[in-house]
Amino acid sequence: MSWSKNISINTWRCGRLMSMYPQHYVDPIYKMEDQCSKRTELLRLSHIPIKGALNNSSDTIFNGEIKQKMVNYITKNGEGFLSRKLMAQTLEMIKRTQLEGSYISPGYNKTETDAESLLIQAVENCRPLLQLSSIKRGGVKYHVPIPLTNKKSYFLAMKWLLDASREKDRKVSLPEKLAWEILDAAHGHGRVIKKKEELSRQCESNRAYAHYRWS
Amino acid sequence: MFRRQVASLSRLQHLQMSTNAAPAPTSTSASSGEAISEFRTAVTNPGEHSSLHVAKFYTIPVEQKKKIFGGGGLPKQYEQQIKTFQEACLMVRSPALELLHYIQNADLSKPAVRYVVYGANGVGKTLTMAHVLHYGSLNDFMLVHVPWVPNWMKRPKEAANSSTQEGFIDLPFDAAAWLVHFKTQNLKLLQQLDLKTSKEYVWSKRESTPAGSTLLELVEHGIARIKYASETTAALISEIKQLSNAGKCKTMVVIDGFNAFFHPETRIFSENKQRVTPDRITLTQPFLDITSYDWTNGICILSVDKIAMTEGYMASHMPRYLLGKEGFEHLDPFIPVHVENYTEKEFYNYISYYLDRRWINKTPPGFEEQLKFMSNKNPYELMQLVKSL
Repeated sequence: MSWSKNISINTWRCGRLMSMYPQHYVDPIYKMEDQCSKRTELLRLSHIPIKGALNNSSDTIFNGEIKQKMVNYITKNGEGFLSRKLMAQTLEMIKRTQLEGSYISPGYNKTETDAESLLIQAVENCRPLLQLSSIKRGGVKYHVPIPLTNKKSYFLAMKWLLDASREKDRKVSLPEKLAWEILDAAHGHGRVIKKKEELSRQCESNRAYAHYRWS
Repeated sequence: MFRRQVASLSRLQHLQMSTNAAPAPTSTSASSGEAISEFRTAVTNPGEHSSLHVAKFYTIPVEQKKKIFGGGGLPKQYEQQIKTFQEACLMVRSPALELLHYIQNADLSKPAVRYVVYGANGVGKTLTMAHVLHYGSLNDFMLVHVPWVPNWMKRPKEAANSSTQEGFIDLPFDAAAWLVHFKTQNLKLLQQLDLKTSKEYVWSKRESTPAGSTLLELVEHGIARIKYASETTAALISEIKQLSNAGKCKTMVVIDGFNAFFHPETRIFSENKQRVTPDRITLTQPFLDITSYDWTNGICILSVDKIAMTEGYMASHMPRYLLGKEGFEHLDPFIPVHVENYTEKEFYNYISYYLDRRWINKTPPGFEEQLKFMSNKNPYELMQLVKSL
């Protein structure tokens, strides 16, 4: 009965039923570019176990990091197919508005038509640096500015963009509104940028409480 | 130089494919004196297109596009693309050239020849027909063009019981819309040619169109009195057939989604709440009449399409399956024209067109290969994939 004993030992060791990689496994490098640039590192990796690549990480022209994140945030009820479609429509709409009339204008080659780089630009423009969090000191709650991690600030930027575009008339489609928000934000104006500026202003005015973070 | 050698070699190998192997017409573009990209051609007259222009884009002038395709005829998404790119470009492809070649060499005094365009979904059947339609419009053909038959069978604007034929159903609004479309396409010809009705048409007690009135009057009556639009359509088509027979005009019949006339059922309900078959609709009969072979001075270009059918009848894209026994016998004998996915050259030219219009913004090495793999060189698939890039 050695095999049953083996199984029981394994389940006991895992602690949880979900599959999990041991800590010494490293992330896969799935992009061809990175594989080329990290050639020296690859040699080192040749004897280290590597995690399997996620099934949405592919090295194609259709894939982008920020785009992928945005798609994940759009998704409701696990309908990934729908959200990918919505994202594609958004990018298409951005391209169409950018191209409209640009063929005849003298600055033909100057308008940015790459929708994904506009999306990235918009997200970068919307990223906050600080956030207010309420901390209780001496029975009083203070709104204390605290710095954000990179990941969190990207999350907030994309969430704000999405929230702004979900606040719309029923007749307007999400891609349409999202495209407008992204274009606005990429050019440095619009509601999301205002929201970010408002937050940073509040942080600025509450700077006196900053020390409550650690004292 | 190397390309030219290869081209001549492949021309020797398969004569049928000579269209693909034509060398780039450097001489023509040089003579026109304009800097024209390799994937474009300055020849805007479809009549002059030859195998030299295969896989090249030609531009339809704005007024002509408005006149011919104002009432439909181009796919909706293609219209959107035209609007974005601000030019109506069509690619010269071999099925359209094949059709044009047949038409140019046809003997019009012989009974009308029927051409059936078929192919899988999204390969460009409608655009092939659009190319031919452009040719017909420029060469003084009377156009009898139905942009998409299933619109009548699947989602008519209004259905009413016919007053003249018992048990039949009229589609007054659709018929009137078609008459408007016919009028815009053929306005010049209707005014120029001496086209008179052969007999008197009595619509009601007070209204009638006397014999010897012009076709334009007939059409305008149909548009003004929508109630009689269906009957006017029938009258107009029989008149056109007679006039063509008499040699007064030459006619090009272009019907997209022709197999919808032979679909087992429509989505229209009759008085007793039952689905009507297409042959009980008054618009069907005239268009079946004009696609038969018993007249001269005419050409019929019909397309059979999978998506003209409804679920359960979409197993194959072959004409025999889509038309059914009855429809096949109605059209037999016809000339089949198969439209296929892009060839290698067409595919790369389309990519360079998209790049020229700045529609594709991601160009890492090998992106064409990815697109080719994903789309299987299917035009519609390619269009969808490229939208978000």
